[in-house]
Amino acid sequence: MNKNVGFLGFGILFGFVLSRVGASDFDLIMGMFIGEDYTLVGVIGIAIIVGAIGMQVLKRSQRPVRSGETLKISEKKLGPWSLLGAGLFGIGWGLSGACPGTVLAQLGEGKIYSFFTFFGMIFGTYLYARLKEKHPSL
Amino acid sequence: MIATMLQAIFIDPWPFWAGGIAIGLLVPLLYYFYNTALGVSTGYGNLVKIFFPTGRLQWLNTKFKETWSWRVYFIGGIILGGFISSTLSGSPGFTSEMGRFTAIIAWPPLAGAVYFFAGGLLLGLGARIAGGCTSGHSIHGISNLHVSSILATILFLLGGIISANLIRITLMGGAW
Repeated sequence: MNKNVGFLGFGILFGFVLSRVGASDFDLIMGMFIGEDYTLVGVIGIAIIVGAIGMQVLKRSQRPVRSGETLKISEKKLGPWSLLGAGLFGIGWGLSGACPGTVLAQLGEGKIYSFFTFFGMIFGTYLYARLKEKHPSL
Repeated sequence: MIATMLQAIFIDPWPFWAGGIAIGLLVPLLYYFYNTALGVSTGYGNLVKIFFPTGRLQWLNTKFKETWSWRVYFIGGIILGGFISSTLSGSPGFTSEMGRFTAIIAWPPLAGAVYFFAGGLLLGLGARIAGGCTSGHSIHGISNLHVSSILATILFLLGGIISANLIRITLMGGAW
């Protein structure tokens, strides 16, 4: 199947599940950070465990990639500023009650404030492109 | 029997473990089908090119040569998935509510808009400097036991704990 169509399908599945499990719910995200409700810690935790088991199965299989290519796992290296960036991201996560994936599910759910989070994210990414121009180490 | 299943999938909220399993499976599935890492935030670079064609910024023109890449389709799919979920479960279309933010803080809509825009800005900028977000670092990266992703996730959570508690104490008057 065409890669773009495939990703549209996986995206629909991802957005549907995020919404069904409450990951796009402002109160659940805030609740996780203030220690009121650990539903999303459970979701992320189980996802990591299932993902880790799945990757081990994949690595041990005869044909880890359907096309027969060698499996290329992308590792995100940390730059000198990465942890600062992660802290900024966290602050934004706690303010907006959304992350780059869940804000999209919120858009689909029709939450009007999420449009502002969404455009803020686009603007923040643009700002990064501007900063990167002058500071390549970012 | 079928009615109960449909009710559980489309109307009732999912238990946390069911959502966790479905999301976790995306990591190996995307490698199996497309040899590609799960990740959302990088695609916002594509969105910058679509919404604000900015010409010569080098990072946008080298890393995002193909503006309409699979990342845009993935993003579009997530929006559609949220729409399907809320429509089938009978949620009321557009809403100006945002949980206890709008329930507790009596701000005019413009102030709320600025607040969420600022939160989004930090998410967008921070994700690019960190090299990923909750899906790319926390779920994909930790699934692959990458130390960089474990460190990034600790900082994600630390930042969120600080800002959410500040909001709770100040704007919400500790009412939560």
